[in-house]
Amino acid sequence: MLEALVYGAIAALISGTVLPLLYRSKNTRKTSFGLSLISSILLLGFAGAILYTGKEPVFPAIRYLPGLDFTLAADRLSAGFILLIAAVVPGVSIYSVEYVEHAKSESRKNLQTALTNLFILAMLMVVLAGNMVIFLIFWEIMSLSSLLLVLHDYSSEENKKAGFFYFVMTNISTAFLFVGFISLFKLTGSAEFGPLEYSASELALPFLSLFIGFGVKAGLVPFHKWLPYAHPAAPSSVSALMSGVMLKVAVYGFLRFLLSVFTPELWWGVLILTVGSLSALFGVIYALKENDIKRLLAYSSIENIGIIFTGIGLYVIFKVEGLESLALLSLAGACFHAFNHALFKSLLFLCAGSIVHATGTRNIEAFGGLVKTMPVTSALFMIGSVSIAALPPTNGFAGELLLYQAFFQSFAVTDPLLTVFLITALSSFALTGALAAALFVKLFGITCLAMPRSEKSRLAVEVQKPMLIGSAVPAALCILAGLFSKQLLSLAGWEIEFPDLLLLGLLLGLIYAALFLIIRSKETSPARISETWGCGSPTLAPYMEYSSAGFSEPLVMIFKNIYRTKIVHKAEYLDKQESLFKNGNVEIRLLRFFEEYLYIPPAQAIESFSKYVSSLQNGKLDSYVLYAFLAVIALIIATGGLV
Amino acid sequence: MNTSFLLFALLNPLFALLAAPLYMALIRKVKAYAQGRKGPRLFQVYYDLRKLMKKEAVYSPTSSWVMRFTPYLNLSTLLVCSLFVPLVFVPEPAGGLGNIIVFLYLLALERFFTALGGLDAGSAFGGMGSSRSMSLAAVIEPTMVVAFAALAFVLKSLNLHHMFALTAGTVLPISPTLVLVSISLFIILIVETGRLPVDNPATHLELTMINEAMILEQTGKNLALLELAHALKQFLLMGILINTILPVGLSTEIDAGKIAVSAILFLLKAGLLAIIIGLFESALAKMRLFRLPAFYVMAFFFSALTILIEVFA
Repeated sequence: MLEALVYGAIAALISGTVLPLLYRSKNTRKTSFGLSLISSILLLGFAGAILYTGKEPVFPAIRYLPGLDFTLAADRLSAGFILLIAAVVPGVSIYSVEYVEHAKSESRKNLQTALTNLFILAMLMVVLAGNMVIFLIFWEIMSLSSLLLVLHDYSSEENKKAGFFYFVMTNISTAFLFVGFISLFKLTGSAEFGPLEYSASELALPFLSLFIGFGVKAGLVPFHKWLPYAHPAAPSSVSALMSGVMLKVAVYGFLRFLLSVFTPELWWGVLILTVGSLSALFGVIYALKENDIKRLLAYSSIENIGIIFTGIGLYVIFKVEGLESLALLSLAGACFHAFNHALFKSLLFLCAGSIVHATGTRNIEAFGGLVKTMPVTSALFMIGSVSIAALPPTNGFAGELLLYQAFFQSFAVTDPLLTVFLITALSSFALTGALAAALFVKLFGITCLAMPRSEKSRLAVEVQKPMLIGSAVPAALCILAGLFSKQLLSLAGWEIEFPDLLLLGLLLGLIYAALFLIIRSKETSPARISETWGCGSPTLAPYMEYSSAGFSEPLVMIFKNIYRTKIVHKAEYLDKQESLFKNGNVEIRLLRFFEEYLYIPPAQAIESFSKYVSSLQNGKLDSYVLYAFLAVIALIIATGGLV
Repeated sequence: MNTSFLLFALLNPLFALLAAPLYMALIRKVKAYAQGRKGPRLFQVYYDLRKLMKKEAVYSPTSSWVMRFTPYLNLSTLLVCSLFVPLVFVPEPAGGLGNIIVFLYLLALERFFTALGGLDAGSAFGGMGSSRSMSLAAVIEPTMVVAFAALAFVLKSLNLHHMFALTAGTVLPISPTLVLVSISLFIILIVETGRLPVDNPATHLELTMINEAMILEQTGKNLALLELAHALKQFLLMGILINTILPVGLSTEIDAGKIAVSAILFLLKAGLLAIIIGLFESALAKMRLFRLPAFYVMAFFFSALTILIEVFA
């Protein structure tokens, strides 16, 4: 029965992929998104049933090559992440029905529809994969389909660069996964996900390579740079899927190995927690300086992935220390935050897509006053901002609350060094949370409030219904998942001491209503409309308002050691001795630390090496035969003669 | 929900709401004396609130629902917050509503909307206030969280009700480390209520104001609600500090006599604390904005020290 739901969902997604490739019409695209909507409803039933009953479905294994089976599997962990997919896809599908029509040509519209379905299918199959080979196959399909979606507007130079960057990073991720899988395969001789009994030193290599592999895909610092490039290039509905779901699929992959394959060590936990905390902190600090709405949201995804990995790190530490209940609390926090982030980040990306569509720019400094011109989008954007700023009673708060509870009780750990470490991590976690609140006051305040800062923003009109409904779905889910967080957690089988946010929300609402009614009933004089006080100047102009850069300036000053600037001189000379100056410029800009010190040096090394190697390629057949001959000889020597 | 908790849920917010404005005035009075002035009457803040309540609200044409929504939300949030902090008596535990983390994040909710309200009218003052307020709040947050974590660690609970049930009935703090946490709590009280040396509540000079700048465009009833919410916040944070370090008199039983004694004692203790705050404010000049993180680090140090001492002891 349960299996049928999955088969139905897969069939719907496959037909959603194939249909738009065959027939080029608006109705086909509608049908295709309808199919992905249906698949998500089926998946909702499937995942809900597994989480609630704890029964695991049995899938038949199909042998397609000797020793290699095509198997699917789903346990509670995968069900949790399938639930996540099923929660994000409906909003994105409804939104895309309208959004995809804004693409440049008929064929691109169809391609985008087909690829979106393929992308969803691939992500689903990664989560369902029953062994490492299947996992890798669908992992690659997921990467490639998202790459094609990032490149959908391939004519722009910026997007080409973004696509290339993403392509390289995603391949690095896969390469590390390969190393990890092969080293595990070498130990066990099996590609199944099963518990291992090996010494810590033997497992260090597989663990580290899997951590890096999944970390690159999830966007952990210092492997995060592809996110702020890929997201602005991708269509917003795809950004919502990539940030909402694909990053979580990487988290799933990591958890799959951590929970059902490895027995973790203490230093793993410390490493995961450190990298997680740093990602969270750096993500939000870089986001504060950003003025491109989609890039800002991309940095904020890095932050949230950092928070999820903070939870995973805590889980490992508590597990090793033998504090089972705290370990469970942290794991629940990490998973619940992953789910919540999927909801509010897809909401924010969908709203950003609407705003970018209506104004024609991604620059925050050009927005303003949208609360009047685009009231519904602004209200939905507000829900997303409140959620991501982790304010009660939304779902963003519920997830972070679990982690806070774990942190606050963690001082039961007796190791003094570990205590100092946990206090540091807790302070960094708190700082991240508060900076995120500042970030989203800035984003919402500058984007939606006050006077329009440009003509584009003044003339913006509200987007069409499907885009509004599409964004409203995750918005409603954000509020519901927050209010019913206690109930959801207990339905999913986590009996945790947790405040009842429903009660809190009701109390807030009731007191609000009571206050409002009492004061309204006593009202004697109506409200008056009068100009904002402008210190005596006759009219206030938009350029007098606080800008996005101005808003974050105090924090930029406080964290000025992180935002290092770099002075770049460029000069051209008329002669070779560089004495006659022709022209040049000097610029002061933010130092792109990771890019300039971590990414570009190896890239340059590879480039110069390939230049050297390419000189071997001279186009003569006889020299190629010689190379082949030398290679065979080298192989024979290396393997110790013909065995 | 038991009757004792229901009684608490009615009395505690009411007590806080009625008493909170008094201490706004008292601090002003102390500061005035320190400067050789007579200062306002003790009930001046009540008169001000009544006057504002009667006045019409004036809105900028630039502003939106955010500005109209914020005052009501802030006061409702603070009223919910007052359920978390037992002031004069600790009811029988009724679990479910929340712990100190929820309390901290309710304060963050209030701050978030105040900051948005500041941006709403399009005035540069409001923007400046929001920007500064959110920035400083971000820097103080680790200190706040670690201070409350230390409190939770010393008193072995996440719930202020349980904590104060533990401290109630003693004259002196039950653990010497609570003195250290109290130093942090005092600094947090100063920062969160926008007092010198962080913010100057008595100024309207654009270079120095933070909280005032955000509510500059608020008028009439809305301003009254915001002022009341601010007073309530100060009173609740004072309550946490008092019941941590000087819990004498705090009642754990539902008994009219005991509660009355406890209430009077609490008002006196709060008066003492208000005098200390007033003198503290008079003795200090406002710090430069970018010097403030160093001030916060001091509070952070005391909280972290508390946890370390508790771990090693």
